[in-house]
Amino acid sequence: MFNNAAIIGVGQSAYVRRPQSGQSTHTFIRDAVVAALKDAQIDGKEIQGMAVTSFSLAPDTAVDLAWRLGLSLRWLLQDTNGGSSSMNMLGHALRGVETGAASPILVVAGDATGLSGYAKIAANYNVATREHLAPLGHGGPNGVYSLVTTRQMNKYGLKKSDYGHMAIAQRAWAAKNPFAVYREPLTMDEYLAAPMVADPLTRYDCVPVVAGAQAIIIAHPDRVPKGRAPVRVRAIRNSFNYDNQEGDGLQTGISTFADELWKAADAKPSDIDVASIYDDYPAMVLAQLNDLGMIPANDLAAFARRDIGERRRPINTHGGMMSAGQPGGPAGGLNGISEAVLQLQHRAGDRQVKNARRAVTTGYGMTMYRYGGTAAAAILERME
Amino acid sequence: MSAGVGIWRCASCGTGYFPERLLCPRCHGHEFTPDRVTEAVVEEVTVIRHVLGQTDWAPRRLANVRTINGPRMTVGLRDESGPGTVVELFEDGTAPFGAAKA
Repeated sequence: MFNNAAIIGVGQSAYVRRPQSGQSTHTFIRDAVVAALKDAQIDGKEIQGMAVTSFSLAPDTAVDLAWRLGLSLRWLLQDTNGGSSSMNMLGHALRGVETGAASPILVVAGDATGLSGYAKIAANYNVATREHLAPLGHGGPNGVYSLVTTRQMNKYGLKKSDYGHMAIAQRAWAAKNPFAVYREPLTMDEYLAAPMVADPLTRYDCVPVVAGAQAIIIAHPDRVPKGRAPVRVRAIRNSFNYDNQEGDGLQTGISTFADELWKAADAKPSDIDVASIYDDYPAMVLAQLNDLGMIPANDLAAFARRDIGERRRPINTHGGMMSAGQPGGPAGGLNGISEAVLQLQHRAGDRQVKNARRAVTTGYGMTMYRYGGTAAAAILERME
Repeated sequence: MSAGVGIWRCASCGTGYFPERLLCPRCHGHEFTPDRVTEAVVEEVTVIRHVLGQTDWAPRRLANVRTINGPRMTVGLRDESGPGTVVELFEDGTAPFGAAKA
């Protein structure tokens, strides 16, 4: 439990499918930082720490970004752990503020790779990918998670339409998010008729790469703007390389700490009002929810049809990355965290979940060879 | 192209790995001896039909396979082998491939 550190403000840039002339990772990050500072009512001169993640910041690093943003800091971090980078940065920033290392701390994530840039990243993700997967024409993570999805369908008796419930529900949420890149309603017929990308994944199963950035600000809860509730993190846990890539990928690293997470948070799955689950692929949303103990009797199919299909559970209320867009891999996780904060601060507009008080957020990623090797989860709470 | 796929077997506990590791996850031994796996059973198959940024893409079949006395790995399939098929493994550069046993 963090008593002296909380999330007090959030901000984001526009999300676009293709960066235009004059737009870059740096400009999207700048726009998100400006928005977050304004939202938190913090002057840039006050910022003492910064954490950043991006696939496309190079050759610049975190200190270069600090320079370009005019931030003189005493705490600096650059995270490279893909889809769980934002969760990692959140944990480090909370500890940094809680222990007095720095405050406020700016946490920012952004990418503007463009399609060709993303294709290069996907083929050179690590040595194993470059040497053993890319020469096969694996198509980046789509190829990897198509195999994982087939395994999950076989093990849990899932049908293609079960994943469709998630895509449709998240698209309905996205219609209420002005930042989402895809906001038009999606029907099951459209979902099932979508072009195949990597069997059994169709277009709506594959997270769309966008350009954009997100930022949040961590500080003492007293720094929250008047009339707004700070958001405290009751517990946060991480996992890295949990099984040496020797399993089936249907459990994530969350399975190694879920019990400890709930205990540390003094909470249980039924306490959760809103969930932001890292959604690079529908199968991995179900896997993470199951690892968190949020799917009764491990019945993924029933959960997909009932809890998601009938909208009984507010999951990825910003539309998720599948509809709002995924700026690179590492930046995507921060939009889920930001959405949870907005929901708990009762600032989510038309998509506000009534009386939202507790949220769970996750990160998942770094497709090392056969599936992701990093995972993280946190329990967030509105401070009254 | 060469028959079989090279793996790395821990000199201490005998466990086989692919891709290469620096330390054995089981015993943390640091010495590995080269070995080859020649057969595997296909577990799941996918067809990569569309790739970002590619306009002239020919679909490719990939599979997750379980090698005999070795690790699971992702291979390119050079035929229509499906789940349960025993395939022969071979390498093209650093990439592993498989095709049904003749």
